[in-house]
Amino acid sequence: MAAANGRVYRWDLDKTYLRTEFETVTGLVRTAFERAHAKQNVPGTAALIRELRRSRSDGAPSRVFFISGSPRQMRNVIEQKLKLDGVQWDGLVLKPNVENLLRGRFRAIKEQVGYKLPVLLESRAGMEPPSPEIMFGDDAEWDAFVYSLYADIIAGRVERSDIERTLQVARVYPDARERIFAALEKVEQGDPVRRVFINLDRRTPPTRLSEYGSRVVPIYNYFQAALVLGEMGDLDAYAVIRVALEMVNRHNYSVDQLSNSYQEILRRGVVSGRIGIEMAQALQDFQPQPGQPSAEEVLHSFERRVRAIPVPPHALKKVSVTPIDYPSLFVREQRRHDERKKKKPVVNLFD
Amino acid sequence: MLRIAVDAMGGDHGPADVVAAVAAASLALDAELLLVGHERTLTSLLSEQEHNPERIAVYHAANAIGQFENAAKAMQAKRDSSIEVAVRLLADNLADTLVTMGNGDAVVEAARRHLRPIDGIARSARGAVYPTEVRRGEKQDPFVLLLDAGASMEADADELVSFAVMGSAYASCISRNERPRVALLSNGSDETRGLPSVVAAHQKLREMEGIHFVGNIAPIEIPRGTADVVVCAGFYGNLVLGMLHETHEAVLSMARYAHKERLMRNAGMWMLRSGLSRLKEVTDWHQYGGEPLLGYEKVIMIADGRSRMHAIVNAMKVAARAATCELPSTIRQNLQTEAP
Repeated sequence: MAAANGRVYRWDLDKTYLRTEFETVTGLVRTAFERAHAKQNVPGTAALIRELRRSRSDGAPSRVFFISGSPRQMRNVIEQKLKLDGVQWDGLVLKPNVENLLRGRFRAIKEQVGYKLPVLLESRAGMEPPSPEIMFGDDAEWDAFVYSLYADIIAGRVERSDIERTLQVARVYPDARERIFAALEKVEQGDPVRRVFINLDRRTPPTRLSEYGSRVVPIYNYFQAALVLGEMGDLDAYAVIRVALEMVNRHNYSVDQLSNSYQEILRRGVVSGRIGIEMAQALQDFQPQPGQPSAEEVLHSFERRVRAIPVPPHALKKVSVTPIDYPSLFVREQRRHDERKKKKPVVNLFD
Repeated sequence: MLRIAVDAMGGDHGPADVVAAVAAASLALDAELLLVGHERTLTSLLSEQEHNPERIAVYHAANAIGQFENAAKAMQAKRDSSIEVAVRLLADNLADTLVTMGNGDAVVEAARRHLRPIDGIARSARGAVYPTEVRRGEKQDPFVLLLDAGASMEADADELVSFAVMGSAYASCISRNERPRVALLSNGSDETRGLPSVVAAHQKLREMEGIHFVGNIAPIEIPRGTADVVVCAGFYGNLVLGMLHETHEAVLSMARYAHKERLMRNAGMWMLRSGLSRLKEVTDWHQYGGEPLLGYEKVIMIADGRSRMHAIVNAMKVAARAATCELPSTIRQNLQTEAP
């Protein structure tokens, strides 16, 4: 059992922390044989995790857990990559793909609910109820669904019969089903999941995630996640600036791209603008390195974007938990996934 | 990075098509897009689209001017119209070019109020394109550019010359036509006939080495493609274009009427269908994107109010091209070179 009840940050790996291409065979092969130093981060993720790991809520240390669909054989290379990024972690769970293959469980290789849900519940079973959780996933697979289901199950918002039906429509293998209910017995009921961040790797329109309620926050980059975490009190303004700086220094983000991202999340009403004011104050102490934008440049760009829109309310939008009919939602999500696979590539009108 | 302002509130179809075009541009163009309009509406429309918000900034405008409103009165009553907010972005050097489907007169008036004219340009001009059978330039452009199409009523000889310089530079940049043929619109090819301003402009243009001046032409020469750029005062440009468009529509409706009458004619039309669809493709106004407003340090592209997403995309492409080839500074340099 973990000793403290500090924040728990759960991260998916591919397309959430790492830039991975698994839609093509070439991409899959490259991912499998890529060395640690060749692996690319989604911009800002390494800095964000370092800052979250450093932050302490209520005096207790934060914990970072990774859960990935990558095969267990990749553990070494992934651990090396995390070390190269200066990221510390408390748990890294990888998928037993070879075992699945040998046992003829071909469906399990791609399946998400039957893999992630038991792992999440088993991890939760060892924690005290107050440990708040924040989860990070992406729009490529089933993260919004699995994370929301997990959050609602431990909060006691999903009836056992609905869990059964969901596992049935998701075609979860019986042993995974048993693990889910066994872990559920040990989990103390609580409502710890504060936010689920979904990295819009596939540019899914945010409204498509609206049926999950405002607990699920679609983000276009990790500066947006840092801003929300700043307003939630998980990060201070200096930490948010450090995340932005990593995106500028290592991933060639421009100040305008960051200020547009800020404006966008402000317009969606996910942040109130308080974090922007705190960042402006923190920037007074900012001493840029050579090649970095000056504090004035940053402030002007941000100020322009904020002034361009009506004044936002300076209060964080209340997180609502929408009652979700998971079995029906699974069917709808499955249909969307199937449609996406069939979707023809969009004609670039600008060619 | 190129910054394109887009007025989302001007078209006949509301902001949905504009937002869809901007969303597509954010994923495909190496440009920052400044979307101007009612913020709540635009945010709601954007959140339904695949887009890259890192490339989009929204600029709120509380008001919009309707297509058929009196421009001067509407601008007086609606201080923060999307057109005015968008033009101010150009004036404040926050945008390099602007695309709007808005009220053309209001755009011209907003530009006159807020934008700096190019040195040596006393009067701005609105360009309009018309399809011809001739292809021009590297892009095989079928359109002739006519200016002024109605930014103002009159033009003296020097102003007609400046229109020729602007039109020539625009055709070189957009159609990639290295040496566009420039003509003056008159009542025939005789250089001694016509308005005094046209006669005087003819003399001046004939002596300009940088302009490929092909003389005077009558309106009927426009669809024949005798010239690539046709220059005239706004009053005549507006009149001639209106007549050409109406004639085109009238011929089409007569053809539709005729083919309904007899089975044989119907069959004839069916056999001609591929040719007709090619003709439709060539004369499709969606292809050309918009009409440039020239004469200022920034280029404004005024797209047709009926524009749907495809036409808006084309207008953005043309605007981007005009800004990338630094059209205003080319015009300025050409004017300086040709100055006596």
